Amino acid sequence: MSKKRKISLSEDELVLALRNHEKVAIEALYDMYSSSLYGVISRVITDTATAEDVLQETFVKIWHSFSSYSTEKGRLFTWMVNIARNLAIDKLRSKDFKNQNKNQELENNVAFIDEQRNTTYKPELLGIKELVETLKPEQKSILELVYFKGYTHVEAADELGIPLGTIKTRLRMAIQQLRKYFN
Amino acid sequence: MEDIKAYIESGILELYVLGDITPEEKLQVEMMASKHSAIKAELDEIERSMELFAEDNAVEPPAHLRDRVLNSILTNFGDDSTFTTNSEQYKNNIVAMPAAKTSNFYQYAFAACLTLLLVSVIALISLYNRLQQSNIQIAALQSDKQRFANAVSLKEGELEVLQDASFKFLKLQGTPKAPQSQVTVAWSPAKKKVWIDMRSMKMPVNDKEHQYQLWALVKGKPVDLGVFDKNADITDMKEMKSIALADNFAVTLEPRGGSPAPTMDEMMVIGKF
Repeated sequence: MSKKRKISLSEDELVLALRNHEKVAIEALYDMYSSSLYGVISRVITDTATAEDVLQETFVKIWHSFSSYSTEKGRLFTWMVNIARNLAIDKLRSKDFKNQNKNQELENNVAFIDEQRNTTYKPELLGIKELVETLKPEQKSILELVYFKGYTHVEAADELGIPLGTIKTRLRMAIQQLRKYFN
Repeated sequence: MEDIKAYIESGILELYVLGDITPEEKLQVEMMASKHSAIKAELDEIERSMELFAEDNAVEPPAHLRDRVLNSILTNFGDDSTFTTNSEQYKNNIVAMPAAKTSNFYQYAFAACLTLLLVSVIALISLYNRLQQSNIQIAALQSDKQRFANAVSLKEGELEVLQDASFKFLKLQGTPKAPQSQVTVAWSPAKKKVWIDMRSMKMPVNDKEHQYQLWALVKGKPVDLGVFDKNADITDMKEMKSIALADNFAVTLEPRGGSPAPTMDEMMVIGKF
């Protein structure tokens, strides 16, 4: 990874360059954010090839619809990660993807099921485990559902069988916990 | 201030950052954030922590994916609206296209049709005129033919008279009034036919008020046999009224149309069989 010189710009420079559709902007954008976005995508979609497709679609969409982003509405990453998560969740719920999973060859099933149940060893997932350990179990589950599984807070309330207000509070507490952790 | 705190505590800002929010709520959060710096700051904190959380959970995508993603953007959107950096060198590169050749086919076709129509009309008029001329000629020929047929039938009549042995020819000689006059009469008592020969006739030309009248004298009584004109153009034989018996033939000059009785003073020729 570090063989290539990575391009890095300040967020303001990057936004300006993206607005002008400069070639360097998309390269910088990829170098700066692809791993963060791929981290989110690959937790929503465990299938590597599909996750890679979604990452590509994410960058194409960012590039294409950049005019709809405004700095006043928030940070660039927030806008991008929501695009990535929505594409990933759409893909996860799409008919094609479901059918694809149903049509898995028999010999691949062991690995597939292992992957689905997260029993395979994924070193890149170590980080989140460590971090999420600092969260209380109920905070962790709500964050998992909403952030990585694409549940809405309403769906999460159903899933966990707790009131909507509680969901919101727990989510807030989880993020508060993260804020403490990062500070 | 309590309201703002309650708003922050409600957890809606977290949902906003996670994108799990209705469009109406989204507008509301954005409006609140622009009004209240505390909300804006809180929002920013949440965003930063989520960004750090994502960074912390970053997964490096496979190295080959970088080229694939960048290429898909560069090739899919590689037109000159995608990148503005290189556009300068193309700005003076605009070459005027040759004016599109508009097809004049229909104009020419229309002109050709008009020309054809004009030529056709002219040809039609010309042909019509010729047809008229031909018709006139045909009519003239027919009248000629009729005239010749008449002439032939007349000549046949004459020939018949000349060949028929029953006809007698009599030269009426001029009276002292017109000593030079002479009229030849052919008469067949059997067929009761009387002809006069206009060709050999020697008579003064009559005026328009008068006509010559042929008489037969039957036992001293004059019988009208018809009138005729002396005209240089009339050269055939003329059939007169029929009569079976006659002693003398005479011609008098009478008012046009003839008289019931001959004017003896105007007797021109007389002859006797």
